[in-house]
Amino acid sequence: MRTPHSPLPGRLLVLTAACLFAAIACAKPWWVAGNAANGHDFLPPEVAFRVAAHADGARVDVRWIIADGYYLYRSKFEVSAESPGLELGRPAFPPGTVLTDPYFGNQVVYTQQVDLSMPYTRADAGAHPLQIRVTYQGCAVAGLCYPPIVQVLFPDAPAAPVPKQAHPAEAVGILGGIALFFLTGWSFRRTRRLALPAP
Amino acid sequence: MIVWRVVAACALAAVAAWAGARLYTARHAPALAERGIAVPAGEASAPTFSDLDTAGGVPMPVKIPELLPAFTLADRHGRATSIESWPGKSLVINFWATWCAPCRREIPLLKSVAADWSGRDFQVIGIAVDYPDKVESFARQFAIPYPLLVGEQDALDAAAALGVESPAFPFTVFTDHAGRVVALYLGELHPPQATLILSVVQQINQGKVDMAGGQHLIAAGLAQLQIHPEG
Repeated sequence: MRTPHSPLPGRLLVLTAACLFAAIACAKPWWVAGNAANGHDFLPPEVAFRVAAHADGARVDVRWIIADGYYLYRSKFEVSAESPGLELGRPAFPPGTVLTDPYFGNQVVYTQQVDLSMPYTRADAGAHPLQIRVTYQGCAVAGLCYPPIVQVLFPDAPAAPVPKQAHPAEAVGILGGIALFFLTGWSFRRTRRLALPAP
Repeated sequence: MIVWRVVAACALAAVAAWAGARLYTARHAPALAERGIAVPAGEASAPTFSDLDTAGGVPMPVKIPELLPAFTLADRHGRATSIESWPGKSLVINFWATWCAPCRREIPLLKSVAADWSGRDFQVIGIAVDYPDKVESFARQFAIPYPLLVGEQDALDAAAALGVESPAFPFTVFTDHAGRVVALYLGELHPPQATLILSVVQQINQGKVDMAGGQHLIAAGLAQLQIHPEG
């Protein structure tokens, strides 16, 4: 049962004020473009265009996932070998969509997803990690373009290790062990009697 | 005795904080990574096809300043020119590049803004993030009448100072005559949006509305235009 002098309401008030302050501090200005001003958000390039590569010993496959409302220009794709002794064949481009621009004319673009596949040979007998360099460039249909993006990929890299999921018991064990250590020392200190020489 | 107890308590608190942080980061690593916060995963990794299945949806970070930051870029003739070279004027600063299709589409609108609003102390300035020779050729071809500043990394630095840290074009910054940033329009500007923002900036300059009120008018007006694009 709560006593009249319980500090809980005060703490709740402080907590609420802190949450409110944090929410206000984190909120983006309403007039910043891309929020209320434009009425729609644009994505950063690494989110609008996500890329990964895979190698199976004979071919390298590069896949781009393109966010809704965005596209990549076919003419801007470049894939080149980055690691020593690696030679890449010419990528085969899938058919895309023709986009007509009053200044640039007809341009083939890709939306949603595009896969490039190319043969490769390596003269290093696997001494170096396989590396390729990809360049791509695209825009948002709503009227925003990103400069060419250059990225180095590791097609034969193993899957990213999943971050170790710490179990709550781990923390309890650590804390318990530390507490036990200090308690043991404390109890030894309490029971210790020094045989001091008589004065 | 009390000293040891204090030491023990501090050690326990430190261990608890470490364990808590470890638990949190381990459980929230994907969410933190989406927010751009790197969580060490033991070794360097490369994206795989399965990583592409998890879509991120964070909008482009734009955090614009209250005042126009000072910066200097070369003009079309290579002369260093400060953005403060037009004191007392409201600036319409358009960042663009020659390879950017929406940037090209905007040029006729910016030319008409320069012609129609110069008498009301508005100054259009183009900032091309591009190679000088390409910009000069383009400027001649399109007969751009307003001042152009040209840069590469230094122009990107100016864009970042204005809050656009992920390079993307076009975007247009509107200031009042005191150098306060009223609005930043990301993406291709269209006549209804341009007229709305310019009219509000003029009202701010005339003292008919304060900055907060003007920005509210712009946001409300742009939202209305989003619903009814014809204005």
